[in-house]
Amino acid sequence: MSQDRFLDQVTALLPALRAFGRSLCGDPARADDLVQDTVLKAWTNREQFQSGSNLKAWLFTILRNCYYSELRHRKFEVEDPDGVCAAQVAVSPDHDAKLHLRDLNRALQELPVDQREALILVCATGLSYEEAADVCQVAVGTIKSRIARARDRLVDLLGDDAARVGGPLAFSDVDSNELSQRSGTS
Amino acid sequence: MIIMSEKTKPEQAALVQSAEPTEQVPDWLGGRLRRMFSEVMDEPVPDEFKALLKQLEDKERGS
Repeated sequence: MSQDRFLDQVTALLPALRAFGRSLCGDPARADDLVQDTVLKAWTNREQFQSGSNLKAWLFTILRNCYYSELRHRKFEVEDPDGVCAAQVAVSPDHDAKLHLRDLNRALQELPVDQREALILVCATGLSYEEAADVCQVAVGTIKSRIARARDRLVDLLGDDAARVGGPLAFSDVDSNELSQRSGTS
Repeated sequence: MIIMSEKTKPEQAALVQSAEPTEQVPDWLGGRLRRMFSEVMDEPVPDEFKALLKQLEDKERGS
């Protein structure tokens, strides 16, 4: 692959990289910093990329490594998850979809990072289970069990408002515990 | 499923394939995850990235 072609393909994948970074860390500015680091590392190591293999998975792997090394450095910093999540979506309070995405982002950040990345890679980015397993350097079965745990937790956290939107359970005075129990067992 | 926005050139289409629904998660959750992802995908890429890519291209040509 000529270098120009390599950069063209990286350019084409920037939107996906930004989306992956943002769903991983929950913060747009921090995600874009991760993507910048990823592009630089990819370019520096471009000789290691084998032409014809999956560039998207390769770039996701680099972004994930950047994120993990950043997490190690941030370990002792005080985090403000609410502030971070609030920055994610410009909230227009009358817009249900926007609220849902904000809630989803907040809930994602409550998951352990290994579960979050497995869920995002398979359910949002379009990677196969096998590709996600390569990116995370674990077995396919591990990806599946992480997704299952992530799903159970998110259904607990978000299931009640999904039921409220989806079905006839649209009354707001229903005890939300009752709703989440109901959707959690279904 | 392939997302083709006006911003997407045909040769890029294969690179922006979106996720297929998986049986492992309920539809409402899978749909919401894909929507979250595609909302960011649809944003214009900030200029800082164009500048970075241009810089790398120039470096390549200059070396």
